[in-house]
Amino acid sequence: MKITDAAVCPFPHGDTSVRRFALEAAALGFDSLVALDTPPATYSGIEVKSGILIRTPSMKEVIAQVKREAGSGTVVSVKAGDAGFNRAAVGYRGVHILRGIHAADRNAFDHVTAKMAADNRVAVDIDLSVLIGARGVLRQRAIQRYRDVLVLEDRFEFPLTLSTYARSVLDLRAVREITGLCSLLGMDLADVERAFGGVGAVTDPVPPAVRVVS
Amino acid sequence: MTVRPPTLREKRRYVLVQLDPPGTAIDPKELYYAISDAVTSLWGDAAAGVIVPAVICAEGRYVVVRCRRGTERELTVAISTVTQVRDTRIALRTVATSGTIESLRDRMKTDPAPPGPAALPEEARFAGNGYAVVHGDGQKIDVIEKGFKNTHRLYLTTEDLEKNHATTIPDGI
Repeated sequence: MKITDAAVCPFPHGDTSVRRFALEAAALGFDSLVALDTPPATYSGIEVKSGILIRTPSMKEVIAQVKREAGSGTVVSVKAGDAGFNRAAVGYRGVHILRGIHAADRNAFDHVTAKMAADNRVAVDIDLSVLIGARGVLRQRAIQRYRDVLVLEDRFEFPLTLSTYARSVLDLRAVREITGLCSLLGMDLADVERAFGGVGAVTDPVPPAVRVVS
Repeated sequence: MTVRPPTLREKRRYVLVQLDPPGTAIDPKELYYAISDAVTSLWGDAAAGVIVPAVICAEGRYVVVRCRRGTERELTVAISTVTQVRDTRIALRTVATSGTIESLRDRMKTDPAPPGPAALPEEARFAGNGYAVVHGDGQKIDVIEKGFKNTHRLYLTTEDLEKNHATTIPDGI
């Protein structure tokens, strides 16, 4: 299982090149990164996976963009919207991660969507930049929302991912620091380890249910 | 005032923190305010009163922060939420926790010093623009765009610059 930061934003979105991100991530204890709008590569022993974030409220556009990325190995993420949109996004083959749950409506991610996410192996992302950078009500609301997601995760066992959304090396955090931040959400070490491997869980092909051994 | 006997003194722990980006001049008092604000914001006034964070010293890239024993975890989590001091963007990375400042000083000495600025080029080109090199450490290189506007820092590697140079070399060389 690889320890993966599920979203970083290298230059030109941020002020850090993807090579520098890889260098720093290696020092901070990561094995791989998902870099948005960046071609896949391996730098300094760190596997950099290509990722896209679809931010449209229209499911039609989501389908068009997912079709465009089909078979490219790109990690496809969709920004969460209302409950109907989230169910449709989670149910569409080719979507890997649902992001921005903390900013969506309170009922946008319910038990039905959670069950669908578990069945379709779609991960729900935990955005650490809110825990790190936000203060006051914004952070309190995010903690509350993520705790609610974790209750559903405990019941339905859909994958989770952890993202720093780093636009700079200064936004990256070490694995140990992220474990501390996740303890704010009630996650223990085993939960955090599982979440670090969430990208692999949603992008690796499903092992066959029956295997012929001879 | 008489000094309390050791058994009656409160037990403390010291956290060694690395300041990023390197070469940033930070006033320890301002850093204390930033850490105190982060602790209060994350854990509340009551917990901050128990943690009692204090910046003991700042030496080069390292800062030693004190807290009450048993509250190290809360302090380190709060420290990881510090993103700026005044208007300067920083990151604080927890390196070690100890019961004495002396052992943290030993830890600081064991870390190899980054290569000096003499080994660095003064200028670099990246993405078609000219930059002044402000810091380098092995493969890492930090640059600032030349000029009065948009003088924010970029974090690159030497390979980024080399690649850029390779594309700008005219044919036939």
